Amino acid sequence: MTDKPVLTLRDLSIEFPTPQGVVQAVKSLNLTIHKGRRVGFIGESGSGKTTTALAVMKMLAEPGRVAGGTIDLSGTDVLALDEEKMRMTRLSRIAYIPQGAMNSLNPVMRVEPQLWDGVIAHEGHLDRGELKRRSDAALTSVGLPIHSGRLYPHELSGGMKQRVCIALGIILNPELIIADEPTSALDVVTQRQVMQTLKAIQAQIGSGLILIGHDMGLMAQSVDELAVLKDGELVEHGTVSQIISAPKHPYTQDLISSVPLVGGDSFLNAERNAPAPQRDSPEPLLRFDAVSKNYGAVTALHPMSFTLQGDTPQIISVVGQSGSGKSTMGSIMLGFNPPSSGRVLFEGQDVQHMTAAQSLEFRKNVQAVFQDPYSCFNPFYRVSHALRYPYKRFGLAQSDAQTNQAMAEACAAVGLDPDLVLPRYPHQLSGGQRQRLIVARALMLSPKLLIADEPVSMVDASLRASILSNIYDLKDKYGISILYITHDLATAYHVSDYVMVLFKGHVVEAGPPRQVIGDPQHPYTRLLIDSIPWPDMDRSWGDGRQDWDPAVEEAQAAKVGAMYRGDVSGFELARS
Amino acid sequence: MTSQESMPTARAERRQAKRLRRFDNPWMNPKLFWGAGLLLGIIALGLIGRFLWNLDLVFTGSTPLKLPPLGFENLRKQPGVLDYPLGTDGGGRDMLALIIIGAPNTLFVGLLASLIGMSIGITLGFTAGFVGGRTDDVIRVLADVMITIPPLLILVVFQSAYGDVSLTIMALLIAGFVWQSPTRLIRAQVLSMKQSGYVQMAQLSGASTFHIMFREMLPNLVPYLFGSFIASVTTSIVTAVGLEVLGLGPQRIPTLGRTIYEAINAGALIQNLWWWWGIPTLLLATMFIGLLLINLGLDEVSNPRLRKLS
Repeated sequence: MTDKPVLTLRDLSIEFPTPQGVVQAVKSLNLTIHKGRRVGFIGESGSGKTTTALAVMKMLAEPGRVAGGTIDLSGTDVLALDEEKMRMTRLSRIAYIPQGAMNSLNPVMRVEPQLWDGVIAHEGHLDRGELKRRSDAALTSVGLPIHSGRLYPHELSGGMKQRVCIALGIILNPELIIADEPTSALDVVTQRQVMQTLKAIQAQIGSGLILIGHDMGLMAQSVDELAVLKDGELVEHGTVSQIISAPKHPYTQDLISSVPLVGGDSFLNAERNAPAPQRDSPEPLLRFDAVSKNYGAVTALHPMSFTLQGDTPQIISVVGQSGSGKSTMGSIMLGFNPPSSGRVLFEGQDVQHMTAAQSLEFRKNVQAVFQDPYSCFNPFYRVSHALRYPYKRFGLAQSDAQTNQAMAEACAAVGLDPDLVLPRYPHQLSGGQRQRLIVARALMLSPKLLIADEPVSMVDASLRASILSNIYDLKDKYGISILYITHDLATAYHVSDYVMVLFKGHVVEAGPPRQVIGDPQHPYTRLLIDSIPWPDMDRSWGDGRQDWDPAVEEAQAAKVGAMYRGDVSGFELARS
Repeated sequence: MTSQESMPTARAERRQAKRLRRFDNPWMNPKLFWGAGLLLGIIALGLIGRFLWNLDLVFTGSTPLKLPPLGFENLRKQPGVLDYPLGTDGGGRDMLALIIIGAPNTLFVGLLASLIGMSIGITLGFTAGFVGGRTDDVIRVLADVMITIPPLLILVVFQSAYGDVSLTIMALLIAGFVWQSPTRLIRAQVLSMKQSGYVQMAQLSGASTFHIMFREMLPNLVPYLFGSFIASVTTSIVTAVGLEVLGLGPQRIPTLGRTIYEAINAGALIQNLWWWWGIPTLLLATMFIGLLLINLGLDEVSNPRLRKLS
C-alpha cells in the first residue's frame, strides 16, 4: 500500500438553504483516502455521507452548495474544474456505484452498449471490436459471463444488475470508486457475493474505495478504515479493527451495539409479565390447510400446512431470501392474495369465503405492519387519520374523547409523544416514527394476530432494536400472536418462539430458534447464517475466496430434505 | 446594534420572510395568480361590459362600416370615433360589443366541454383502475381507439350535416373527444395507488370500496385532476375555435372564432382591416397564456421540487 492520497477533503462544508434556514449538511470534514484503501462512511440517514460523496463528484442536488473547504483528487482541485473538465473526470477518475442498481440501468438498452457509452464519452469513437473487448473484460472482472452483455437489464437478477453497475464503474480504471449502499436492496447471500466482487476488483485496479452504508457488520467485513458521521460531523475515524474493538465516541458504541447478534446479548426486556388475556374460541387461531400459491408456471409456495393455536401469544418467524415465498405467505394470510389451492382458516372460518360482517371481524382481529413506513400513510391526511379511522370503523370508539385517549395511550406505548406526533402530516415524521405509529395503530385495535412483514428493514439500524422490542413487549401485554416475516436471522433468533426457514417455497428447517439459528443443520440455513456480515473482525465472511458461488451452494441445499428440529406447544407444522 | 443599522436588516428579513411564506404556502404562486387574473379579466370584460355598453351594436348594419379603432385611420382616411372605440367590422357591427359577447361564449364552450369530459374521464378512469379485468379492457381499448380519431374530422362532418347548432350542443360534441386522456391518466394513477401502502392499510382497516376510492385516493388525485382539467379546457377552446374559423358551429351567436371566420371571408387581410381579426386573436392568445400560466402554477403547487427559493 502506497502513501499517495487519492482524495483529500480539507475543511469541507456543505449547506442546503431551506425555508427554515440554512442546513449544515456537512461541517468542516477532514479526511484523506490513500491509494488502494477502502474507507467506509457510516452513519444514519441524514448524517451527510451521501452528500459528501456527491460533492466529490460535483453532483450535489440543488440548492445544495459547497460552503467552504477543498476537495483534492490526487492533485486536482475538483471544485475549480469547469463543467466540461468535471464531465471528463467523472467515471474516468471517480466512479460512482449507485444504491438502486434496479433503476440505474436503461431498461431499453442491452447491457453492452451501456458499458460502451462510458468509454465513448471519454475516449471518442473506438471500433466495435475494441469496445467489445473492453466490455467483455469488465464483465469478466465482475464475475459475469460474457453473454450477459447481450441481455437486457430485466433479464438479470438484482445481484447481477448490481455487478453490471460495478463493471460500468470500473471500465475506465478510476482512481476512486464511490459505492453508495451498493447492497442495501439485496439479501444477505447476494450481498456477500456483490461485496466480494467489489473488493476483488478494487484490489485488482488498486483504486481507493469509499463505501457508504449504515450496517456496521457489512463495514467490518469490507473496509480498512471507518469514518463515522453524525449530523454532518466526522465523530470518529480510524482503522476498522481499532474502531470495532475500542470505539471512543458514544455514537459509534451505539452503532456497534445496535447490531443484533445470533447468540449475543438479547436486546429485549427480559422480564415477562402479565398473563395473556384468554381467547373465547376453541378453534385454532390460524390454520393453513395445504396452502400453495402459483404465479403462472412459478410456484411461490409449495403446499404447506400448519396450525397456530394462539392460546398463549407466540412469535413465529418466517425467514428466507427474497423470492423464498415468505411475503406471499403473509399476503395469503391477510386474505389479499387468494391461495392457488388449500384453505386458510381463521378461527375455523375460511378467509376467502366470508360474509361482510365476518370479514370486518377478521380485519379487526388480524392486523399487519408492512415493510415500508413511508407509503403507509395517506399523504393527504394528518397521521391521526390512520389511527382514528380503523378504530371507529371497527366500532371500538365510544366517543371522540375516548378515541383520542386510546390514540394517546397507543402512542405512549410505543414511546411516542402523542401531542407532538398525532397532529402532523406523514412527511413531517421520520421513518422510525412512522413505523412506530403503524405498530401503535395495530395495537390500538388489539388484534389476535399481527403479521409483521419485514417491519424494520427500512428503518435505521439504531431504531430496529427498539421497534422490535416494542412489538415484543406488547405481545404479552395484549396477548397478540405474531407472525414475523424477515430476512434477518439475528433478530428472528431473539424474538421468536419458533422459526421456519423458507427456501424456494419449501420449509427447509423449522424448530425453536436456539436449534435452527443457533446450531443450523440444513445447508441452506448455514448458507444464510454464513452470509450475515458480523461486526467482528475475527469472524471472517468475505475471506477473499473467489470461487464462493451461492448458486452452487443453493443447488446443493436443494437436494437436502427438510429438517425438523423440535416442537413448541401451540404451533404445529405438518411434516412433508 | 443601533436602531439605524437594524432598520434595513429588519426590512430585508421581512422580505425574506415573505419569500419563505410564499414557498411554504404553495397556493401563493405568482404564475397561478397571473393566469387566473388574465382569465378573470376576460370574464369581467363580459360581465361588466353587458351593463356599460350598448349590446344592440352586435347586429349587422347598426354602425358605419369598417371604422378603425380610436386613434387609427383606415384606408379611406376615416379616423376612429369614440362611439366605437375598437372599430367596426365590414358588416356594420361594433367590435367592442362583439368581444363582450363573443369572448365569454368561447370560454363557456371550453369550460363546459371539459367539465363534461372530465366527469366522464373520472368515472371511467376510476372504474377501469379499480374494477379491472374485462371492464378495464373495454374502457382502455375504447379510450385508446378514440384517442387516435382526429376530433376535427368527425366534428366537421357532423356539423356540416346538421348546420346551425347551439353553444351547448357544440360543447357536448367536443366533450366526446376530451374524456380519453383524463381517463387514461386517472386509470394509471389509480392502478399505482391501489398498490400503495395506505390503500392496503385502509383495506386492513375494513374500509369499503367507496371509502377507498373517494376518501383515500381522490384527494391525492386533485393536483392531477386540476392539471388535466386546464389542459382539456385548452384543447376544447382550440377545437371550438378551429370549427368556428371554418365557418361551422353556431351561426347566429357571436364567438371569437366566428368573428375571425367572417374577417377572413370578407377579405379583411387584404383590406388591412387588422382590428377585425386582430382583436379576437389577441383575446384568444390572452386566454391561452392565462390557461398555460395556471397549468404551470398548478404544476408547481403539486410538485414542490419545481418550486424555487426566489
